[in-house]
Amino acid sequence: MQSLQLSQVLLIPLLLALVATNVGSASEVPRPLGVPLAKASLYQPRAGENSWTCLDGSRTIPFSHINDDYCDCADGSDEPGTAACPQGQFHCVNKGHQPVNIPSSQVQDGICDCCDGSDESETVGCPNTCLELGAAAAVQRRNAAELHKRGAERRQEMITRGKQMRAEREARRLELDQRRKEQELLRAEKEQLKQTAEALEAEAIEIFKEQQREVDADTAQAEREPQQMRQEATLTFVRYDTNKDGFVEVTELMVDMNLDRDRNGVVTVEEAKYFLDERERVDLDAFVTLAWPRIKSLQMLAEGLFQPPQPEEVAQQPEVTTESIQPTPPKLSEEQAELAGDDDIEADEEGEEDQYDDEEPDVGVGEASPDAEEATPPNYDPETQRLIQQANEARNALEEVERSLREIQQEVNEIDDQNNKGYGLTEEWAVHDGQCYNFEDREYVYTLCPFDRASQKSRSGGPETTLGRWDKWSGEPKQYSQQKYTNGAACWNGPNRSAIINISCALEPKITAVSEPNRCEYYFEFETPAACDSEAFQSESENLHDEL
Amino acid sequence: MRFALATVAIIWALFVLADGVDPGNFKTCEQSSFCRRSRKIQGSGSKYALIPGTLNTYADSLTADLVNKENHHQFAFKLEALVGSTFRLQIDEKQPLRPRYRVEHALKGPTQAGRIRVQRETDGEIVITSEKNKAVIHGDPFRIDFFENDVLVVSVNAKNWLYFEHLRQKAQEPTSHPAENENQQEQDAAVETPKAADTIDDPGAWEENFKSHHDSKPYGPEAVALDFSFPAAKVLFGIPEHADSFILKSTSGTDPYRLYNLDVFEYVVDSKMALYGSVPVIYGHGAQRTAGVYWQNAAETWVDIQTSETNVVSSLVNFVSGSQKTPPPAAHFMSESGIVDAFIMLGPKPMDTFKQYAALTGTHELPQLFALAYHQSRWNYNDERDVTSVSAKFDEYNIPMDTMWLDIEHTDGKRYFTWDKFKFPHPLAMIKNLTELGRHLVVIVDPHIKRDNNYFFHRDCTDRGYYVKTREGNDYEGWCWPGAASYPDFFNPVVREYYASQYALDKFQTVTADVMLWNDMNEPSVFNGPEITAPKDLIHYGNWEHRDVHNLYGHMHLMGSFAGLQQRDPNQRPFILTRAHFAGSQRYAAIWTGDNFADWSHLQHSVKMCLTEAVAGFSFCGADVGAFFGNPDTELLERWYQTGAFLPFFRAHAHIDTKRREPWLFPERTRQVIQNAVIKRYSYLPLWYTAFYELELTGEPVIRPLLAQYPLDKEAFGVDNQLLVQDRLLVRPVMQQGVSKVDVYFPAIDDKKNGDWWYDVDTYQRQERSGYVSVPVDDFKIPVWQRGGSIVPKKERQRRASTLMLHDPYTLIICLDRQGKASGSLYLDDEKSYAYRQGQRIHVNYEFAHDQLVNSFVGKPKYKTLAWIERIVIAGLEKVPSSASITVNGVSQQLEVLHHDNTVVVRKPGVKMDVDFAIKLNFA
Repeated sequence: MQSLQLSQVLLIPLLLALVATNVGSASEVPRPLGVPLAKASLYQPRAGENSWTCLDGSRTIPFSHINDDYCDCADGSDEPGTAACPQGQFHCVNKGHQPVNIPSSQVQDGICDCCDGSDESETVGCPNTCLELGAAAAVQRRNAAELHKRGAERRQEMITRGKQMRAEREARRLELDQRRKEQELLRAEKEQLKQTAEALEAEAIEIFKEQQREVDADTAQAEREPQQMRQEATLTFVRYDTNKDGFVEVTELMVDMNLDRDRNGVVTVEEAKYFLDERERVDLDAFVTLAWPRIKSLQMLAEGLFQPPQPEEVAQQPEVTTESIQPTPPKLSEEQAELAGDDDIEADEEGEEDQYDDEEPDVGVGEASPDAEEATPPNYDPETQRLIQQANEARNALEEVERSLREIQQEVNEIDDQNNKGYGLTEEWAVHDGQCYNFEDREYVYTLCPFDRASQKSRSGGPETTLGRWDKWSGEPKQYSQQKYTNGAACWNGPNRSAIINISCALEPKITAVSEPNRCEYYFEFETPAACDSEAFQSESENLHDEL
Repeated sequence: MRFALATVAIIWALFVLADGVDPGNFKTCEQSSFCRRSRKIQGSGSKYALIPGTLNTYADSLTADLVNKENHHQFAFKLEALVGSTFRLQIDEKQPLRPRYRVEHALKGPTQAGRIRVQRETDGEIVITSEKNKAVIHGDPFRIDFFENDVLVVSVNAKNWLYFEHLRQKAQEPTSHPAENENQQEQDAAVETPKAADTIDDPGAWEENFKSHHDSKPYGPEAVALDFSFPAAKVLFGIPEHADSFILKSTSGTDPYRLYNLDVFEYVVDSKMALYGSVPVIYGHGAQRTAGVYWQNAAETWVDIQTSETNVVSSLVNFVSGSQKTPPPAAHFMSESGIVDAFIMLGPKPMDTFKQYAALTGTHELPQLFALAYHQSRWNYNDERDVTSVSAKFDEYNIPMDTMWLDIEHTDGKRYFTWDKFKFPHPLAMIKNLTELGRHLVVIVDPHIKRDNNYFFHRDCTDRGYYVKTREGNDYEGWCWPGAASYPDFFNPVVREYYASQYALDKFQTVTADVMLWNDMNEPSVFNGPEITAPKDLIHYGNWEHRDVHNLYGHMHLMGSFAGLQQRDPNQRPFILTRAHFAGSQRYAAIWTGDNFADWSHLQHSVKMCLTEAVAGFSFCGADVGAFFGNPDTELLERWYQTGAFLPFFRAHAHIDTKRREPWLFPERTRQVIQNAVIKRYSYLPLWYTAFYELELTGEPVIRPLLAQYPLDKEAFGVDNQLLVQDRLLVRPVMQQGVSKVDVYFPAIDDKKNGDWWYDVDTYQRQERSGYVSVPVDDFKIPVWQRGGSIVPKKERQRRASTLMLHDPYTLIICLDRQGKASGSLYLDDEKSYAYRQGQRIHVNYEFAHDQLVNSFVGKPKYKTLAWIERIVIAGLEKVPSSASITVNGVSQQLEVLHHDNTVVVRKPGVKMDVDFAIKLNFA
C-alpha cells in the first residue's frame, strides 16, 4: 500500500516503461529505443553481470540505467531513447521511409519528429506517417529521376554542342596560331620595306631641306658644310678601307649590315655596288662625292641620329594640303584604338564610358593646331613627294599587318578566356555563355547573362545596375552547383554588389527566384538542363537506399 | 569660482567628441528657456514660506498655503503619508489661471493612505510622524526634513531652489512705433511697478525657436523645480534613461541629466543626453540608509546632480568657508510645466526603497516563459521563406530559439495591421510553421499612422477625430517611416479602446493569439519635428498641450496595446516590447536600450543601463545583442551573446544595412560559443521565471546592482560591470576585447570585508573572500558565480524552444554557506495563462541544513505538472556522503550519490514538484 503511494509521487519509473523498449519496431533485433540497428550489439549487458559500460568507456553503470531518463554517460550513450543527455542522438527507424537521427533535444518534447512517432510517448499520439511519406518520397524521387533523365538528354545535347564548340574553338585556335606565324613573317618583311622607304624618304627630305637651307644660309655656312661632310666621309672611308690600300672595294662594304637595304640579312654585291656608284672600287675623292651621300643617311639611321618623321612633328606642321603629300603616321580607327588599349573594353551601364575615354591610348592624330595654320607647307619637289608617298604606303602596309596580328591575338585571348571559364566537366555550360535570362518581381527585372554578369533594373525604368560580373564557380562540395558574380556596382554605405547563383536541374533554363538576404548580396535560383546529371542523381538515390 | 566653472565647462567640451549622434540636433539646457530659468535660481535661491494659520491636518495628511515672498503668489501645499514609509508632497497654484496638468496613469492605482500624528506644532515648525518615520516641516524658509528612524534621509528645498512659475497673462506686445515710444515706456513702467519681482524676461518665455522649429508657447512660462538633498547618502542613482554610469555624476560644469523621450540616432555613451525613456525616480544611498524620490512629472525635465565627492569647486567653497563638511548629494528636478508631485520613499535599505517605488508604479507582471527565452530579430526578415529558413537553421544547428521578430518591412507600406502581400502572402501558414515548433512571432506596430485615405486605420482616425491636433485644431501631420503620418491621441480613452479593438482576431485576421507586439518609435519619433519628436504646442485630449504630457505618450500607447492583447485573448499574458517608457510603463512592457552601436563601450553600457532601469522598475530590460548599428567582429558578437544571456530581455537584432549575423554565418567556434551562451540561458530559465514571479509578488528587481544586496560595502556602490540575478547569481560578463582574465569584485557583507562564499557555476570552485579577484577567461567563459547559501533551480535538458521544456525535470543546485546551509525558491505554473492568479501555481522554498533538504510550499501547490526533480547538485559539503534517502509521506527510499570534483550529485530523486519530501544525506 505504502509503496504504491511512493510510486505515485515518484512517477518516473512508470513514465519510462513506455519508452524503454522498442515494441513493434522494424527490426527483429531487440535493442533499446533510439539505437540504430548497426549499434544494437553495443547495447548488451556485460557477460555474467547486469552492468554496461558507456560507449566512451568513461563509466560502468547498471544495465537498467540505459534509457532510464537520467544521463549517466558523458557521451550520452546511455540515453539513446530519451532527452536526458544534452548532446545525444535518437535514431528513428521510420520503417517505410527514410531513417534519420535527430538530436535528443527533440525527443519527448511533444512534437512528432520521426514519421514513425518513436520520438514521442504514446500520450502525444504521433501518427505513423512513414508509409505515406515513403510513398510520397518515392513518387518525388521518381519524378526527380524522370526530370533528371529527361533533363540529362537535353544536357547531352548541350554537352555535344559544348564539345563541338570547344573543338571549333581549338581548331580556330590552331588556325589563328598559324595565321599569327604567317602574319609575323609578313610583318618583318613589311617592317623592312618600311624602313627602306623611310630611309629614302628621310634622305629626300633631308636633301630637300638642305637645299632649302643652302638657299637661305650664308656663305660661311655653305663653305663649312662640304668641309664637315668631307671630314665625315674621310673617317668612314678609312673605316671601310680595311686592307688600307687607299681604295674602298665592294667586298669591304659588304660587311656593313647597315647597307642591307632589303633587310634580307645579306649585303649583296649589287647592294654594295649601288653605294659605289656601280663601280668595283673607289678612291677617297670618288667616295666623298659619289658614295658618301648614299651611305650617310643609312649610317645616321643606324646610329639613331636620323629619326623618321613623328606624329608630333605632323601636328606641328601646317595643315596638309591636297597638293602636297606629307609623311603621315598610320591612323588608327577608334575601334582599333580601343582594342589596342584594353582587351575587355566595353561600355558599362554604370557610366564608365567616360573613364575609358580618359584612358584611351594617345594614338590619335591631333588636328593641326590653329597656331600652325598660317605657316606654309614646304613644297617638296616631285621626287621627294614620290618617296614620301612610297614611305606612307610602306607604313600603312606594316600597320595593316600589325592590326591583323592584334585581331588574331584578341580572338586568341577570347578563346583562351572561354576555355578558362570552365564550362563544366563536359562543356555542358558552354551554350549558356552569351545567353541572357530575365526574371521579374514586383519591383525589378533581374538579368543573368551566365559567364558575363548579373544585373537589375527597376520596372519603372532607370538605368541597369550591375549586381556582379562573372567571377567563378563556387559550389561546395559540388563546384558546378553555384556561380559567383562579384564586383558589381557599389552600394551606398556598403560593399560592391555581388550575386550568388544557385543552380538546379530543369528542362528549360530560367531564373525562378531572386532574393537579397543581405544588403547588396543577391541570390538567384537558376534552373537549367545543364545541371541535370542523371548518373549522379542515381548514385545519390542509391546511397539513400542503402541506408534504408 | 566662476573661473573654475568655466574651465570645467571648456574641458568637458573638449572631451565631447562628435562620434555618432549629432548633439546639435538636441537642445542643451542653455537652449531650453525653462531649464535656463530654473537653473538660474541655483545662484540666488528663492523665498517661499508657509502662511501661518493656514495649516489643516487630516488623518493621513496635512495642507497649508505656501507663498512666494517675492511676488506674493500663493500655492496649495499638501503632504500625505502613504503606507510603506512613503510621503507624497504636492504643490500647485492655489488659484491657477487654468488647471495645471497632473500626471495620470503612471501610478498603478490609488495610493494607500497611511496615518499621521502631529507630534509638535510651533510657530515655524510642524513635526509629524508616520510609522517609524518623521517629517519636520519648516515654515520660513520653507523646507521639509524626512527622518527614517530618526536619521535625516531626505531634505526638500534645503537649498531653496524651489521655483514655481505661476500662470500669467501675456503682457501687451510692445509696439515699435517710434512716435509711441515714450508713451510705451510709461505703460511698461505702469505694468511692471506693482510686481517688479514677478517678471520673467527670458526671451524664450513666451515663444521659443530651436533650429527651424517654432514653439508658440501660448501659456507662457510655467516651470516647476525643486531640490532634494540626501544627507545619509554617498551616491545617487536612477533617473533613466541615459547611456551613462550607474552612479550619477555631478552636473557641475555640464548640462543636467535630461529626461525627454527622444529618438536619438546613434547615441553616444557616457552622456547625460536624453534617450527614449524617462523615469524620474532617483535614489540616494549610503551604507546606513537608502531613500528615494519619485518626481511625478511628464513634461520635459532636467535634473542637476550635486555629488558628495570633493571637487575643485566644493573644496574651494570649503576652504573659503572653513567648513570641513561637504554638502550631501542632491538633485534639482526642473520641469517645464505641471505641478510639484513628489513621492519621498524612506527605505531604509535599498531593496525597501525599490519595493516602495514598485508599490507606487507597479511591476512587470509575470511574463510568459517564452518572453524570457531567446529572441531572434532583424530589420528585416525579408519574406516568409526567410523566416521559415532561419527558424529551421536554429534546429539544424541545435541552438534554442523561441521567437522570431518582424520589423517594419513586413507591412504593406508601413501600414501597421497589414502585411506586404508579396513578401508575406500567407502569414497564418508562416505563423503556424513557427508555433508548431513551440515558437512565437512578434510583429512591430508603431504609433505613426500613414496618411493614406485607402488605409482603414487612417480613415477611422480622421473621420472620428482620433489624431493629435495642432494648435489650430487640425490633425497634426509629421513625417516618419510611412512618409506623411499622423499620431493617434492615446490620451483619449476612446482612442485607446479603438486601438485595442484593432487587435481582436476578427479584426487583425492575419495573426494569431500567439503573435505578440513590438511598439517602437513611440517617443513619438517625428523625423521632421523639433528634436525628432512632436512639437510641444500640439493639443491632446482634455486640451492639454503636448508639452505637459510628452514623456507619457509612449506609456499611453502601451496602455492601448496591452488592453488590445488582453482583450484579444484574456487568458494569455501579453508580451510587448517598447522603446519609449515612463514611470509605470513596466506594467505593460519590456524595454530595450534602443539603437545601440557595435562597439565594446555600448556592450558595457548595456549592463549599466539595465541596472539603472531595473531599480527604476524596469527589470525586463535588455540591449540588442550584436548591436543595432554596425557589424560586430566575432569576438564582440560572442561576448555580446554571453552578456545578453544574463540580462532579462535577450534578443539579437540588427539594422537593415548590417551584414547578416545569424550564428551559423560565422566560423564553427563562434557558433559554438553562441550556442553555449544560449543553452546556458535556457538552463537558468527556472530561475529567471521564479525571479519574475517574485518581482510581481514583492517588487524586488530581478537583476540588481551589488549595493542592493551589499549596502554596507562602499567599494561595491560604483560597480556597474557586474550584476546580481536576485541574490543568487553574480554575473561579471567579459566586456573587453582580447582579455584572458577579468577583475571580479566579490562584495562584502559588512564593513569589515567579510564576504559571502561564491561558487563558479561551471567548476564549483569557491571564492571565500571579498574584494577584487582576477579570474582567467577563455572564449567560452561567462564568469558567473552562485552565492553560497543559495539554491538555484535549473532545467538542464536542451530543447529547441522554452515552451517545449514545460514538463522537463528540474535540477537543484545547492551551494552551501559557511554554516553548511542554503535556501532558495522555485516558482512554476503553465507559463502562459493567468490561471496562476487563481492559484494554479507552485511556489516552493527549498531549505538545506544539517545534511538534509526539505521543501515547503508557499500556499497550496495547485498547479498540476509532469515535471520532477532529476538531480540535486550540492557544492560545499565538508564530507562526502555515501548515499541519500528520500522520504515522502513517511516512506523512504535509497538514492544513489555520485561524486564529482567539487560537488556531489544526488541521482534522480524523481519526486514530483508538488509533493512534500525530505532528502537526507547518509555518511558511512
